[in-house]
Amino acid sequence: MTAASSVKIPVTVIGGFLGAGKTTYLNHLLRTGSARYAVLVNDFGAVNVDVGLIAQHDGTTMTLTNGCVCCSIGGGFLDTLGRVLDDNIPFDHIIIEASGVGDPWRIAEIALVEPSLRLNAVIVVADASRIADLLVDARVGDTVRDQFDRCNLVLLNKVDLLNRTALDAARTTVAALRPDIQIIETTEHTLPTLPDGEVKATLRFAATAVDNRADHESAFRRWSYQRSGTFDGARLAAALAALPPQLLRLKGPCRIADDASPALLQMVGQDWALTPAPADMTAQDDIMLVGVGTDALPDAGALDAILDGALTPVSQTPPTTTDLNRRQATFIL
Amino acid sequence: MSQDTIVFSARKIVTMNPSRPSATHVAVREGRIVAVGSFDEIVGASGVRVDDRFKDKVLLPGFVEGHSHIMEGMMWSLPYVGAFDRRSPEGKLVKGLSDIDAIVARLQEAEAAMTDPEAPLFAWGFDPLHIGSVSLTRQDLDRVSTTRPIMVVHASFHISNVNTIVLQRAELDRTTNISGVVMGKDGEPSGEVQGIAARFRVFRVLGTNPLSGNLTADDVNRYAASSCIQGVTTITDLHNDLADLTIEVYRAASRRDDFSVRLVPAMASVSHSPEQGVEKIKALKASNNDKLHYGIVKLVVDGSIQGFTARLRWPGYHNGAPNGLWYIAPEELPSIVAAYHNAGIQLHIHTNGDEATEVALDAIEAAQIAKPLPDHRHTLQHCQMADAAQFKRMKSLGICVNLFSNHVYYWGDSHYDLTMGPERANRLDATGTALRTGVPFAIHSDAPVTPLSPLFTAWCAVNRISSSGRVLGKETEALTVEQALAAITINAAYTLKLDHIVGSIEAGKYADFAVLDEDPLEVTPEKLKDIAIWGTVVGGHVREAPRA
Repeated sequence: MTAASSVKIPVTVIGGFLGAGKTTYLNHLLRTGSARYAVLVNDFGAVNVDVGLIAQHDGTTMTLTNGCVCCSIGGGFLDTLGRVLDDNIPFDHIIIEASGVGDPWRIAEIALVEPSLRLNAVIVVADASRIADLLVDARVGDTVRDQFDRCNLVLLNKVDLLNRTALDAARTTVAALRPDIQIIETTEHTLPTLPDGEVKATLRFAATAVDNRADHESAFRRWSYQRSGTFDGARLAAALAALPPQLLRLKGPCRIADDASPALLQMVGQDWALTPAPADMTAQDDIMLVGVGTDALPDAGALDAILDGALTPVSQTPPTTTDLNRRQATFIL
Repeated sequence: MSQDTIVFSARKIVTMNPSRPSATHVAVREGRIVAVGSFDEIVGASGVRVDDRFKDKVLLPGFVEGHSHIMEGMMWSLPYVGAFDRRSPEGKLVKGLSDIDAIVARLQEAEAAMTDPEAPLFAWGFDPLHIGSVSLTRQDLDRVSTTRPIMVVHASFHISNVNTIVLQRAELDRTTNISGVVMGKDGEPSGEVQGIAARFRVFRVLGTNPLSGNLTADDVNRYAASSCIQGVTTITDLHNDLADLTIEVYRAASRRDDFSVRLVPAMASVSHSPEQGVEKIKALKASNNDKLHYGIVKLVVDGSIQGFTARLRWPGYHNGAPNGLWYIAPEELPSIVAAYHNAGIQLHIHTNGDEATEVALDAIEAAQIAKPLPDHRHTLQHCQMADAAQFKRMKSLGICVNLFSNHVYYWGDSHYDLTMGPERANRLDATGTALRTGVPFAIHSDAPVTPLSPLFTAWCAVNRISSSGRVLGKETEALTVEQALAAITINAAYTLKLDHIVGSIEAGKYADFAVLDEDPLEVTPEKLKDIAIWGTVVGGHVREAPRA
């Protein structure tokens, strides 16, 4: 099976309707890949990288000189992904192109159940000039709307085709679907690098010249939650469901009552999973969760209260001064 | 007549050739039919050798299954746990299982016969709709084994049930929060898994996926054996990536003299760009032989009606379920259709729901306007919900249809109660409308989704009765026995553009016969499915069906 599962490979799924620019974005990521990406694409023919960048090409797999590998899904998605996971050298990042009529979340779920993977992001690319029409289209409107349901980020693409009024209208339409979601305006020349959902590098998104939001850093707030003690499993589920939509992700080690070994909680949007914590993961406290939210994320106190409700009674102690200091320190990161 | 001519005599030969509907003698040479007629016409004073082994039998043209899958041959390496009787490739009647205890018992039997304690046990054919919507839980499967991984694949092939050890190894538990892992009342996973994520995880810990293994000669031989048992002499494999290994297995099998069925594989469009696909079909056609017929391409536009993944026009699903899934985007379909149409390649387009049918009709219409292709015979597959207006468009556009008559029996009740409601369920798989409109049509099993058995499929189209006994649209949509027989022979051959060489018993065609104990035109229509099939003749080679 796979190599040491202590190192989880981040997975990013790129969704969006036909013609939105998914392939353009994938081409961009392949060309500019600074780490060793495995990119799974639907249509090999549409992949367009400089010939000089191709080290090897056998019809189903293309190896690039920058270490990235591009695989055609044609032979079967499950087999293709299985081969990528079994590669002798683990990839730094796996990027999967969803079908133009598929729901990217269905693929993203793989990273929630496969222990060697973690979900980094689900990105939907939308054609700014068409998205408003597509969303109400009699035949494909439901398909297109579903794609946005659980994504983490929207690239509103081809904004150079629109004037400001039309662009604002497109933006408003997407925002109406997902008020909590970050929308980045892009053109084929201003596509961002991959977001990194784990660390500060999320903020690398300062990419797009046309984005009217001045400061991307202010678009995120972090929240840290640390306690000694354990969560009650059932109440934790309720508490997680009660967290506000402005919280985009939450991750870290924790303990569940009656479970001897520590668990790793990973939550993206409304979806979460608990898996056994990697052996090498050390935590000073039983529960050390770090969250990332939009700039509208409620105060830490309000969020703390929600999770405190899931603690088993014996450990419902108020946070110590040290805890508060540590939280403060983390928050500044 | 030449020395090497053999004349088969029979109680009756039903030719399906309207100019000579019945006969008693057929002369065969070099695998082909020389002449069909009476003793006097065929034998007379010529002294030609008469083979009278079929003197008490009735010969029909070998049946043509226009929509089935090689998976039928692959699945029979695994135990069957569906609710209805099926015939194995060895000819054994495998009884349907009507409750959970019976399913557990069959799995226990299969488990006991396994030697490697670590090997996973796979089974297939389960459908909760057929046993009163009872679920198969992990606890049920734990009664079979708590140590050996077990996976039961549903008849739909989209859902599976696994035992607790599989869930444990896959680390799927009460904290798992993905859509494809169904939770039981106790808050733990019930063992039902579906969707791409759960399947990926489960197959990964099992180390094998029985549905994606490489095709073997055994699989193809089982497919041919099942064909013989059901009187089938031409069979499709209507959705195949046609990987190099598959092509080689098909090539080797079809060149064997004792290989007893003509294979018609359809290339899956999804695994190729249209440009690649066109080139591949051209190359493959050049390698055709008398028992291997490449040339058609399959497109899948939507999902299934009973799985609520078919695309329906307004008013949608009867029970209010949200509309289904597009597998090809409506705006992408025209360019794919045009690419193959312009290259003169025949398309077989899966459209279950009527919205998918509409999109396919639009795409073919656009292709025909841009570049008319006489006699294209593009065929809509399943096409279960088409109404009269859509059939009229098919007629105008030269489109054929292959209707899924077995659905009337297997899921007719679900369609009546849940998916379509009474009005639309009554014209489900509208063979009568096709006849009235003049659209060339066939009927099919989609094996292994439903059992391979053209006589049973014909019975469904004639009687239009569901498994609970509800009659659906018989007055308006049922076929006569003769019409149904045409739909499983000459008309099915027409949808494959093979009606010049198979599908009827007449001079010049391959000597392909289904050998029956009784005359389908004489038995009461209710008994059509019960006629015993002795075997087949393929290219003059007599093959008695295996019996076990």
